Amino acid sequence: MAYFRITLMRSGIGMPKKVQGVLHALGLKKRMTTVYYPVSQSVAGQIMRIKELVDVKEVEKPMSKEEMRAARRPDKGYYVEKRAEHVES
Amino acid sequence: MFGPFRLTNPLSGGLLWKVPWRLSRQQKYRHRERLRGVDNIVSTVDSALARLGQSLKKVEAWKKEMPTEQEMLPKDKYTVFDRKVKRYRKGIHKVPKWTRVSQRLNPPGF
Repeated sequence: MAYFRITLMRSGIGMPKKVQGVLHALGLKKRMTTVYYPVSQSVAGQIMRIKELVDVKEVEKPMSKEEMRAARRPDKGYYVEKRAEHVES
Repeated sequence: MFGPFRLTNPLSGGLLWKVPWRLSRQQKYRHRERLRGVDNIVSTVDSALARLGQSLKKVEAWKKEMPTEQEMLPKDKYTVFDRKVKRYRKGIHKVPKWTRVSQRLNPPGF
């Protein structure tokens, strides 16, 4: 099942009530929030209303908040060496 | 001469807050990027719905009526019709919220 990944890039401040209402309905309350919705006509219509403000991609699976956070986290730059297993000889 | 308190016309008193009459090259570039972004979103939505065998009236109407960034004339990209302006055209950056609204069509003949 395909999903829309919608990210609010531009704020809706000062836009008409209808646009701000759509943002609120989709749960986009602050810039850079990301939400996932299954592809459907009703969501597509909502995206068309706010297309100037958002970034939309079609993805296979929605990511949870924790997964998105982990994906953003940069590489630690080190790894902890583990003790090698004892070999019987 | 430099720095935050340099003597420029807006700072040396009085109300002077001018909007240049034409867009800078960089503004034009960013404006084209925004137009292309909207085009991409419409095509993404359209292809996603097409994969389900669905379509949307709004998307179809947009595709039929609105030119894409590449099809638009420079005149329509960077200026808009205004009946109050001499020669009926003003810079698109004079439109309120111009970076967040779609303004692509102008009356034919102007």
